[in-house]
Amino acid sequence: MRRGRPATGSVVCSFGTVPVVDSILSEELLSEIVDLLVRVVEAAGALIIFTGAVIGFVRFLILAVRRRTPAAFVTVRLDVGRFLTLGLEFQLAGDILRTAIAPTFREIGELAAIATIRTALNYFLRREIRDEREELSRDQQPASGP
Amino acid sequence: MTGLLDSLALLCTAAGLVAGITVLASSRDSLLALRTALELWVAAGLLRLAGPPSWSTLAAAAAVIVTRQLITQALRWSGPGG
Repeated sequence: MRRGRPATGSVVCSFGTVPVVDSILSEELLSEIVDLLVRVVEAAGALIIFTGAVIGFVRFLILAVRRRTPAAFVTVRLDVGRFLTLGLEFQLAGDILRTAIAPTFREIGELAAIATIRTALNYFLRREIRDEREELSRDQQPASGP
Repeated sequence: MTGLLDSLALLCTAAGLVAGITVLASSRDSLLALRTALELWVAAGLLRLAGPPSWSTLAAAAAVIVTRQLITQALRWSGPGG
C-alpha cells in the first residue's frame, strides 16, 4: 500500500499516523526553549554593555582626576567601544534566534528590519573605533621631518 | 527584565553626564568631554535595545549614534579643542 506524505511532526507507522515528534518536542515547547535562549543571550549582551560602561566610567573619572593627556581618554573610549560592539553582537544573535520562532512573514519582516538597523549601528561603532585607533596611532608616531 | 534594563540605561545616562562634566572640568576640551559622554549614552541606548525590540527604542539608539557622528564631525571641522 502506498502511503502519503506524513504531516509535520508526525510519523507514519503500521498503526497509522502518530504524532511522535510532537510528543517529544512540541512547537510550544520549542518556542519556550528558544524564547528562554533569546532572553539569556540578550541578558548576556546587556551585562557586557553595562560592564563596559561601568569600567569606562570609573576609568574616565580616574583619568580626569589625574589630569592625563587626551590620548589616554581615547584608549578608554576604544575599550568601551569594544564592549559596546560585543554587546550589540549578542543582541544580533538574539534576533537571529527569534527568527526560529517567528511564524508569520510580518514578524520575520520586522525582525529583518530590526536586525538591519542593529547591524548598521554595529557598523558605525566599528568604524568609529577604527578611526579612533588610526587617530591614536597617528598621534603616537614620532614627528618626522628635518 | 525591561524595568531593570531601563534602570541600568538611566544609570548609564547619568554616568555619561557626570563623566562628561568631569572631563570638561579637568581637560577644558569640549570635544573630548562630549565624546566621553556620548560613549556612555550610546551604552544607555544599546541597553534599552536589549529588551523586546520596538521601533521607538531602535530609533532612539540610532538617533544617539547619528547625533554622535554629526557632533564629532562638526567639532572636528571647527578646529582643535572645539
